[in-house]
Amino acid sequence: MLARWRKPGGGSAIPGVVVNRIAPGFLATTLNGFPLGLVIVTGSSGKSTTTKMLVAVLRAHGLSVFTNQSTANISQGLTSALLERVGLSGQIAGDVAVLEMDEGHGALIAESLTPRVVALTNVMVDQIDRFHDSEMVAVLLAKIAARATETVVLNADDRYLADLGSSLDATVRVARYGVTAEVLGQYPRGLGYADTAASRLSAGTGLQLTRAVGRDADVQFPTGGHSIRLPARGIHYAVDAVTALSTAQATLGERFDPTIACTALSAMPAVFGRGEVVTVGGKTIEFVLVQNPSSFQLNVDSLEAGTEQILVIIGSDVRDPSYFWPVDTSGLSHVLIASGLKAHDIALQLAYDNVAVDRVEPDVPTALDAFLALPDPASGVKTIIFSADGMRRTRAHLGLVSNAEES
Amino acid sequence: MTVTSLQRPFIVVSLLPRLLNTNGDAGNARVLAQRIRWSGHDAQVVDVHSRADLPEHVDAVSIGSGTDAALLPARDALRTLVEELRVWSNSGVPILAVGTGWELLSWGIDLADGSVLEGLGLVAGQAVPRATRATDDIIVASKYGRLIGFENHARDYVGAEASPLGRVVYGSGNGDRASGPRIEGLTMGEVFCTHLHGPVLARNPGLADHLLRAAFSRHGLEYSRGARAGSVDATALAARNQVAVRLGQSAE
Repeated sequence: MLARWRKPGGGSAIPGVVVNRIAPGFLATTLNGFPLGLVIVTGSSGKSTTTKMLVAVLRAHGLSVFTNQSTANISQGLTSALLERVGLSGQIAGDVAVLEMDEGHGALIAESLTPRVVALTNVMVDQIDRFHDSEMVAVLLAKIAARATETVVLNADDRYLADLGSSLDATVRVARYGVTAEVLGQYPRGLGYADTAASRLSAGTGLQLTRAVGRDADVQFPTGGHSIRLPARGIHYAVDAVTALSTAQATLGERFDPTIACTALSAMPAVFGRGEVVTVGGKTIEFVLVQNPSSFQLNVDSLEAGTEQILVIIGSDVRDPSYFWPVDTSGLSHVLIASGLKAHDIALQLAYDNVAVDRVEPDVPTALDAFLALPDPASGVKTIIFSADGMRRTRAHLGLVSNAEES
Repeated sequence: MTVTSLQRPFIVVSLLPRLLNTNGDAGNARVLAQRIRWSGHDAQVVDVHSRADLPEHVDAVSIGSGTDAALLPARDALRTLVEELRVWSNSGVPILAVGTGWELLSWGIDLADGSVLEGLGLVAGQAVPRATRATDDIIVASKYGRLIGFENHARDYVGAEASPLGRVVYGSGNGDRASGPRIEGLTMGEVFCTHLHGPVLARNPGLADHLLRAAFSRHGLEYSRGARAGSVDATALAARNQVAVRLGQSAE
């Protein structure tokens, strides 16, 4: 764990360890003490993007926001980060705290926290090694949701979360958001949830995603419709944006302004590794990060048609090569190089999905050099689909800013 | 006169792919169909969720593995197909059952809370709780070649000692035994049951082709591996060797 905290940009966790021993209640007391309280974002997938979007929207409303960079350093690291913000008076500067929590971490730490708002993104069948069943994930999320003092924001299209919403204590308000039947209809395989709720939100009962095409999305607020430009292409970013907007609305109450919120969201820079477009040596490359079968499938389905130069890098982080087999990769049609420690395994899957694979090259730097050396494609941009390990190796080899905190 | 082709596509049934596909095991149906096509014949995968989906002809069957929450609905759905399963297994239709899909074909599943979920009773033996979940690579010596895969199960299997799929070289397989070699899987005629989840047939084409020979011979046809399968199998071999060498075994 220590090695993880020492990653560049991760800061030192040592002061946190010390303080947690001296004043064990410090973290909870401080987090619970912000004027606008604590907001927790959790769920299987999309929480990192949602948190960043939410923070951007709250800051655009003039709030000073304390937030965590990742879920990895949730206890000690958070204390360190909080200590940096303590003024001479012993007070923490800031209006509100926004924390992204892993469902496992969250259920442990949430015992001592009293969040004003808890936002739940979804329950997906992923992370098989840690949480075997979606039921178990739903139970962990319910524990976190039960700590909310004011509002639980949840994805009404996710059957597990919809059920969770109807079993919450009556003193807590439930803010539901979702997509329209038309939007869902564009994704015959669904949006990746372990189970999709039988019906969509009826108009006027919550924020609704009414359109998502490429990086453009339309959101229906009670006061009218607004358009946003997403930081990356894909339906899951559009849903993350609606989650963030709904959570911002719950946090800000009367102060929430849809125009300010949508402008702030549209101004966000592309998220690292997720539809991020970079230029290396004059070549334009699009990065696509796949973290679980659902995000892999959604990314394959939303890939620009006719993308002719694709490199797939699946690394050592995919422990079990079966992990991605539920994904139908046939939409890729043609992959120039399969790379990473699991190059042979992903090449095997692609072959059975009728995807032509020109070359299998487990060594990532060799594969990247060969891929970049090719002339620009006639259609689409050079596209690299990678697992988190593939992303790290790619960024390191290309000399791009490391992004150890993304997970 | 020698028969050279079937007058219809080979039908590979994927049983309950919504309930039993946690690790992509339903992909094994896709693997069989592709290998049939690569051998120069027509093939089709038919997803069967209930009796209404049953096709007229069935040439091979794949049953995947699911979560424990899906055990009861999957068992109840399989029960409505028990007569077909009996006919297929008695008439030499190759059946692959993985993980909980296998457990549901057994006498029953002893659950951790002490209750027993009755199985279909198609194959001998039963699933019993094990102390800790087995989650790792697994290597099995079998007469269909050295099988390499991944296992992830919270139960052992007892009662398969008379006809296992193979002997465990690395991993847990059916679990500890008081005596004798550690074994993995179960076979009964052309029914093959295993803990190797996910794309076991893609990674181990020797087993896939055994199932296909069985499917073809029922029609007096001879299966021969297509050229495309040959190059894909080289990729599978590289993937297997990578695991074998990492675990201190020799490459093939």
